[in-house]
Amino acid sequence: MTQVAEQVARYAQEKRLSVQTLIRWQAWVEEDQRAFLVVAQELQLGENHLRDFLDWLEEIIRRDGGTARNLLARPEVLQPLEAKLGRNDKLKAVKEGLRKLRYPHLCCLEENLREAVKALDLGGRVHISFPPTLEGDEVTIAMKACNVRELTESLSHLQRRLDDGMLQRIFDLLDQE
Amino acid sequence: MGCYNASLIFSIKSKEGAGSVCKSSPSNVGHMTLYQPDEIFVEHGEEHAPVVQRALSFLPDVPVRVVDKGWERALAAQRERDSFTAGKRRLFFTRQRSPFLEHCPAGTPSLICCNYLVVSLISNCPMDCSYCFLQEYLANNPTLKVFTNVGDLLHEVAVAVNRHPARHFRIGTGELSDSLALDPLLGFSADLVPFFAAQKNVLLELKTKSDCVEGLLPFDPRERVVVSWSITPPAITDTEEHGTASFAGRVDAALRVQKAGYKLGFHFDPLIEYPDWEKGYRDAFTRIFSAVDSRRVAWVSLGSLRLTPSLRATMRRRFPQTRLLSGEQVPCGDGKWRTFQALRVKMYRTLMGWLKEAAPNVPLYMCMETASVWEKVFGRVPACDKEVAHSLTEPNLSLMPPLS
Repeated sequence: MTQVAEQVARYAQEKRLSVQTLIRWQAWVEEDQRAFLVVAQELQLGENHLRDFLDWLEEIIRRDGGTARNLLARPEVLQPLEAKLGRNDKLKAVKEGLRKLRYPHLCCLEENLREAVKALDLGGRVHISFPPTLEGDEVTIAMKACNVRELTESLSHLQRRLDDGMLQRIFDLLDQE
Repeated sequence: MGCYNASLIFSIKSKEGAGSVCKSSPSNVGHMTLYQPDEIFVEHGEEHAPVVQRALSFLPDVPVRVVDKGWERALAAQRERDSFTAGKRRLFFTRQRSPFLEHCPAGTPSLICCNYLVVSLISNCPMDCSYCFLQEYLANNPTLKVFTNVGDLLHEVAVAVNRHPARHFRIGTGELSDSLALDPLLGFSADLVPFFAAQKNVLLELKTKSDCVEGLLPFDPRERVVVSWSITPPAITDTEEHGTASFAGRVDAALRVQKAGYKLGFHFDPLIEYPDWEKGYRDAFTRIFSAVDSRRVAWVSLGSLRLTPSLRATMRRRFPQTRLLSGEQVPCGDGKWRTFQALRVKMYRTLMGWLKEAAPNVPLYMCMETASVWEKVFGRVPACDKEVAHSLTEPNLSLMPPLS
């Protein structure tokens, strides 16, 4: 067994990874095993998160070509990995970065929707949300109000955005890829 | 239970051409290899069923065992490694003891359905598409089973369609297996086509990825039989649909059955999102609709690739090189993963646009989609499942010649 394969095996033992997951990881070329070991150690990945990483990395490579080490060196992954964040925030940020590479069109649409919602400038008491992974059409608009004045203000904001077509843009975005 | 060679226990004459059943066609298209099981099992009492006799005549060198009823359940309990692959290599002749006629299992309460009925003379498929739902559906019962009591099936269908003479039926045989891939071996088309050709209120659909149409050609389908092909671009056909006919082979076979008087169907299902999907499907679409007479196309369907989490895991295990898991698929309301909605709607609209250009009168429907997606693609939602079924049966049944 090579040195890196031994290190991977030690990590797997420490995290009690399944044999299948270990075999899958060790099937990669050494450079890719090593690059991913750095990420796994930094994020303290257990079985489930680690398998998500393996799935996404392999799926991206199969679709776009390239190598795991190159993907893990992409700014979308590397920047959050090197950021001064706690383990959980860092894990979330790195996964989000990798998700952008795995789901480029979906993430682009999500980003466009986020920007369109921000442009509505509806204030902190109106919240617009979308179905998970944008599967479905229903847009949820939630309003919080402590009194009728606050409610009236939020409704007025919404009415203005209906009138100027900016709310329509949200639905238009959902309807196109 | 005994182990024999087929030619020893049954006195059968070998037919000329056995072993190369999907015969050459007029054009220069490569052909599928005939399915060759490792072993044949015949349930005790079924040895002399015509379909058994025919199959054994085509496979004289394959070992045959006569087994007791329930044999396959005992075998399944042995839990062979990758028993799904092993199951496909075992050909088992038995009787169907449950009703043949069933509602299509794709029907799901939250999704629009086309009210399709299915009959299965075969369970499991000699082909091995990486995305096939049978890997999960038949995981515990993967032996390739052929039901010998085709007469019972025909009787059951006759009773059902005669009981509802005003209702129009669409019945398919391609749910638990390919409708035609084993036809050279089993010859079921010789039972099915003449029977359905004589019915007045039912369309039979033979759904296939094969080029095994030779057995259909001698019969007059009398507008009651639709032979349909599941279509993916060659880049997908060649890498993901193992053991099937090539794209060119399917188009060639479609032309042959069209010439013989059959109506055609095309199912862009699974519709697969991959980096070059638009070009791939455009080319496939153009090749099909520039070759066939679109007036003879009974219907076209679209259905996004849909995979349960467990099927995704199976695909990863059985087909580690598959590229189909790399699409932008997300979990949907029914638990299946599909290309995310905005992108698959774009794909549906794109293909619908091409169909409107090439064959505006051909009925188009979607399989296993939500009302919301129907609304986005077609601009309206069918009032009920019967409406979808009606839109598919009426244009075709109205052209049927009267029964003599």
